[in-house]
Amino acid sequence: MAQRAVWLISREPGTPFCGTVRFSRRYPTVEKRAKVFNGASYVPIPEDGPFLKALLFELRLLDDEEDFIESRDSCSHINKTSVYGLLIGGGELWPVVAFLKNNMIYACVPLVEQTLSPHPPLISISGISQGFELLFGVQDFLSLSQKNDTELNTKLNQLPDLLLQACPFGTLLDANLQNSLDSINFASVTHSQKQPAWKVGTYKGKPQVSISITEKVKSMQYDKQDIADTWQVVGTVTCKCDLEGIMPNVTISLSLPTNGSPLQDILVHPCVTSLDSAILTSSSIDAMDDSAFSGPYKFPLTPPLESFNLCYYTSQVPVPPILGFYQMKEEEIQVKITVNLKLHESVKNNFEFCEAHIPFYNRGPITHVDYKVSFGQLEVFREKSSLVWIIGQKFPKSMEINLSGTVTFGAKSHEKQSFDEICIGGTAYLKLHFRILDYTLTGCYADQHSVQVFASGKPKISTHRKLISSDYYIWNSKAPAPVTYGSLLLLDLSFLQSPLPQLKKKQLHFKGIPIPEA
Amino acid sequence: MGPLSRETWAQRLGAFRASPSAFMAGPEGEDLGRDLLSELRSEKLSEQTKVSLLALSLEYPAQLWPDATAAEAAATSLLDTLVLLPPRPSALRRPLLLAATTALVAGDALGPTSEASRRLLPLLLGLASGRDLGRGFGPASEQRPLQATACECLRELESCKPGLLGGCLGLLRGLLGQEGPVQPLSLLLALALRNTLVIRARARAGLQGLLMAGDTPSGGDPWNWALAEEGDARLQPQAPSWPAAEEECGLAVLEPTPEEARELRAAVAQLLDTSYLLTPVAQAQLLWLLGWALRGLRGQTPVLFKPQLVRLLGTAQLTLLHAVLALKAAFGEALFTAQDEALLLRRLTVAAQHPALPLPAHLFHLHCLLSFPENWPLGPTAEEATPLLLGPRLCRGLLPSLLHDPMALLARLHLLCLLCVEDEEKEEKGQDWSPRHYLEELLAGLRQRAALDGGPRASATLCFQASHLVVQCLATQPTVLTPLTHGLARLYRARPVLAPHFVDLLDRVGPELGEPLRVALRQEVVSGPGRDEALRWHLQILAEVADGNAQSATLGFLGAAAAHCTDWGLQQALLRVCRALLRAGVGGGLADLLQALARQWEDPDGRDHARLYYVLLAHLAGPKLGVALGPSPAAPALASSLVAENQGFAAVLMVQEAPAPIRLSVGPHRAAGPGPVLQLHVEVLEPAYSLELRFRVEGQVYAPLGAVHVPCLCPGRPCRPLLLPLQPRRPAPTRLDVRALYTTPTGLTCHAHLPPLPVNFADLFLPFPQAPEGDKLGFFEELWDSCLPKGAESRLWCPLGPQGLEALVSRHLEPFVVVAQPPTSYHVAIRLPPDSRLLLRLEAAQEDGVPVALRTDDWAVLPLAGDYLRGLSAAV
Repeated sequence: MAQRAVWLISREPGTPFCGTVRFSRRYPTVEKRAKVFNGASYVPIPEDGPFLKALLFELRLLDDEEDFIESRDSCSHINKTSVYGLLIGGGELWPVVAFLKNNMIYACVPLVEQTLSPHPPLISISGISQGFELLFGVQDFLSLSQKNDTELNTKLNQLPDLLLQACPFGTLLDANLQNSLDSINFASVTHSQKQPAWKVGTYKGKPQVSISITEKVKSMQYDKQDIADTWQVVGTVTCKCDLEGIMPNVTISLSLPTNGSPLQDILVHPCVTSLDSAILTSSSIDAMDDSAFSGPYKFPLTPPLESFNLCYYTSQVPVPPILGFYQMKEEEIQVKITVNLKLHESVKNNFEFCEAHIPFYNRGPITHVDYKVSFGQLEVFREKSSLVWIIGQKFPKSMEINLSGTVTFGAKSHEKQSFDEICIGGTAYLKLHFRILDYTLTGCYADQHSVQVFASGKPKISTHRKLISSDYYIWNSKAPAPVTYGSLLLLDLSFLQSPLPQLKKKQLHFKGIPIPEA
Repeated sequence: MGPLSRETWAQRLGAFRASPSAFMAGPEGEDLGRDLLSELRSEKLSEQTKVSLLALSLEYPAQLWPDATAAEAAATSLLDTLVLLPPRPSALRRPLLLAATTALVAGDALGPTSEASRRLLPLLLGLASGRDLGRGFGPASEQRPLQATACECLRELESCKPGLLGGCLGLLRGLLGQEGPVQPLSLLLALALRNTLVIRARARAGLQGLLMAGDTPSGGDPWNWALAEEGDARLQPQAPSWPAAEEECGLAVLEPTPEEARELRAAVAQLLDTSYLLTPVAQAQLLWLLGWALRGLRGQTPVLFKPQLVRLLGTAQLTLLHAVLALKAAFGEALFTAQDEALLLRRLTVAAQHPALPLPAHLFHLHCLLSFPENWPLGPTAEEATPLLLGPRLCRGLLPSLLHDPMALLARLHLLCLLCVEDEEKEEKGQDWSPRHYLEELLAGLRQRAALDGGPRASATLCFQASHLVVQCLATQPTVLTPLTHGLARLYRARPVLAPHFVDLLDRVGPELGEPLRVALRQEVVSGPGRDEALRWHLQILAEVADGNAQSATLGFLGAAAAHCTDWGLQQALLRVCRALLRAGVGGGLADLLQALARQWEDPDGRDHARLYYVLLAHLAGPKLGVALGPSPAAPALASSLVAENQGFAAVLMVQEAPAPIRLSVGPHRAAGPGPVLQLHVEVLEPAYSLELRFRVEGQVYAPLGAVHVPCLCPGRPCRPLLLPLQPRRPAPTRLDVRALYTTPTGLTCHAHLPPLPVNFADLFLPFPQAPEGDKLGFFEELWDSCLPKGAESRLWCPLGPQGLEALVSRHLEPFVVVAQPPTSYHVAIRLPPDSRLLLRLEAAQEDGVPVALRTDDWAVLPLAGDYLRGLSAAV
């Protein structure tokens, strides 16, 4: 249940080592136990240099992709989790929990309290999930309000002290490092018996509760007879409860309007004290029908001091907010494009911004564009070989807009143009970026009356909502496109049980991309 | 060295961290540990610098203080520093406690005799109980954090010495009930409880009221070193709540009395009731510990956990879900009904794909899904499989797509394969949703990506990994393997540069895919023109797949290719194919080709090789040819065919120096016959034929020894002892240098140098011919008198072991006893070849030894006899 060592490594492609160890911490008392538990299969924790090299090799982050190297490229070397074995000094260091996020590699080696040969299943090692939690915690801490390298360095410099607090002997006490930082500063507060470990002090001041619901909508649209379009909403409810007292009780309810889409796959924050079984079982795995639980979704909780994510949910709304098609045809060095976008009438037509990004991969720079737009303006990024159609704040009354044009490309130069494995030949997409404030696609809301606070004083309650696009793709309908099978099947079930006119015709069939016959 | 400035320290610490081993080997290495301790008391350094010094000692105590004595001294010094701190707030108290604990544990100094341990433990327990320890321990504001830190230190000590706090359970319960900090005390109590239960159960002892709450533990010293020693014998794995691991840890069952059971339940309930006050990761630890603590208890139902489960299942926390799975594995149906199991599976399925969770969490949840601890598992638990309740319907969101990250794709592909296996077991239902159809489309997509010219190596690797995974799971399904074979063959046609991946795949898959893929690839290669830039890849593939089939096409291709093999590398590649064909027993056409190559090529090396192969083909019979071309045992991994095969030839024709697979030992001494004979036992690790053992006597104290021959030896089959007669030139011990010459099953002749065999002084002992019946004493006295004046005489004390004189004589001197008056007196006469004698009188034995009078006619024997007698008691 402990970690033997932790590392943070910044990835630096192009430099001699392709990376630098920015932080490392070893736990010798845990190492002592590892030696006893692992017996003959024990491999000691290496110094930073050899570890860096072995990890980058295993993660394929060294600049030596050219040759086939059996220990890395063999077909039997299959990794299905973020847990690796590193060949170091003739032995295999295992399990190394590691992942790359924003050019930073987070790694640790959990203690395994038995022999390592053969490898026990990961599920039986308690240190694995603790290791992940520690690394996620460090990642959250580093990414929180971090804007530049100086701030990153400041945060990295705080890490030794924070881990001394949150993980003094390799056993993680709190994955929330911000909490540990506060506890260093809060040290003078006298605590009473029932002080939770995840709340280092108490709030003093005007009581207020803030709840904001952010929904992200993603979509894959194909405009094809034999492939169904998919879309999904993912919601995050963030709260900040500034309330006096050690353990104030709060109940927050999320509600849906009568035609709202039920919330599914709800994951709650650990501070939620109990959960209705309807909330627990409402899941996107099941077929949706009219009997689906549609709220109100009540969450009784004792809030921590800091802002926290009360819950995450997904939802399957009946229609995508913007439905469109994209047609692209290659003609020698030119492509002809046609784009049509239609905003659904039920969606609030008041955007903070709305743009369609149209990239052209594996081609040269744009040399010339002939185009016609029915609405908005088109910007051309010649070197990046992409177009951005700025639609603005509102769709026109017709709710439908078009773009058509011809794009001419120059010669491809390999250094500048990045290689894309998906967008080859006619396979291409446009991606929508938009944001609508004070709106959710599911209709989900939390109003002032939905919040019950059992604490002294009547708190001021503020609520916010917004809808953001995320991974909103419209694929070229004139060429093969990659399909996400899972969501397609989901859609299949839902339309069989609650028929939607625009989907009825479409059959389920899954198109991979066949290999061209040589 | 004088006091160092902050900058100097920063520099020094930086240099150390960059490479601790290099720094410690350097000139400053030796002093670092000492300097660090003394600088902690320096008034010139800031607290921040001192904290960084302590941080170093927390990470590298083994380098700074490498042995137990140094660690003990360091811990003492750290404790002194702590006591000497002025009573104002200081950032040093916590790290000092941590550092002292770390130094003791890491330096193996923790124990009942260590002075530092005897100081640290009461200090920690005092702090943890919130007792006032005087003004040296800081202002009131620091008490709470120090109390928590002391708990952490105690927990670490308990982790490394399980059972140490076995006597403090009651005290800790009391503290938790009062106003101690909840999290540190809960975790400490849970760990101590778990360890105590485990150790008690193993010792088949009861809890003996350990759980009863009380301020002070009974009997003065709270440290249960005795319990800790029991626990220390083998640190117990913490994970074996997992059923698979259960057997090996030998989880014993503890049967508490009703009274104890009630106390135990109360303690667990107390811990669980306040668990929501713990951070999520700490809650998870608590559940793992308590789950395991209760698992081995008879009559304890795990329902105590039930109220926590719904709350835990709702969260997005990886550790909490993992802890619930641990409880599931530990208690199965006793805690989770079938409906609960279904709900847990659904939550896990949701967590494995929830867009709000990061990819590593998805992958871990997916792993948990495939290793799910079912109430009633159908298959073997060690393999990944889809749980019974996880039907295709639940899995739909978990299927792979080309857009996934490689790891996610492989993990989901594995699930898809498992579904295909189940699907095959059912009938084809004509449904749209056919997992196999998916699989084909997906693999086709992966191959298309791998086929892209200039694409990254990673996409090729992914394609082959996916293919391998599919073959592993679906080896019995021709409907999957046929399109896969064709697809791979087309991929090769599109991108021959992937040849190393193909060779690797062929090496690792079974015949189900291997056979058809070999045929397809061979066809793909030989049907081509054999003169393009991919020739080297074609030849690499052919060397792997060429066998006796499709000879004419293969030879035709090689014939055409030969003209384009203009450089040495290509010629070698082609020759490698020829070797493969030779090994496969291809005859006529190959001879023609080799002759043509020997004429045609300009490079003498290639030409010579072709000619050599031709000669081998013409003159050697099949099996011998196989051995000649077989991989060399010495260096199988060399890339050059030239080197590899030269070794092959050399191997057949020469004697190989090899590490000995033979173990030789000296058996019990046989005191009979005209001369001393050594009894040898031979064991082999692998079969050896025509073994010849040759011996050389060190120092030439014996006449040269003859060789010993054994026709055949097999591992595990006992061989009768080999007798090696010795002809000593003088009676002295020596060593025999041993060499072995033998033939391996593969036909190689090997030569090995074995470890030398010792011949002891006692191995030379022989009895005198039978003395005349009735006058043994006279016979002995005659021998005794004859030794002097030429020889030597001595008296010495032979210590006796607990068994006494009788046992000693019967064990070592029995055959040589002439006159015996057990148990006190023995007369012993030993003949020492070539012509010496050694006579012993062992008389008037006392409890701890016996005086021995000895005479010999050869003074050189005297010291040897002395050593021998003195060593006897130790040998008993």
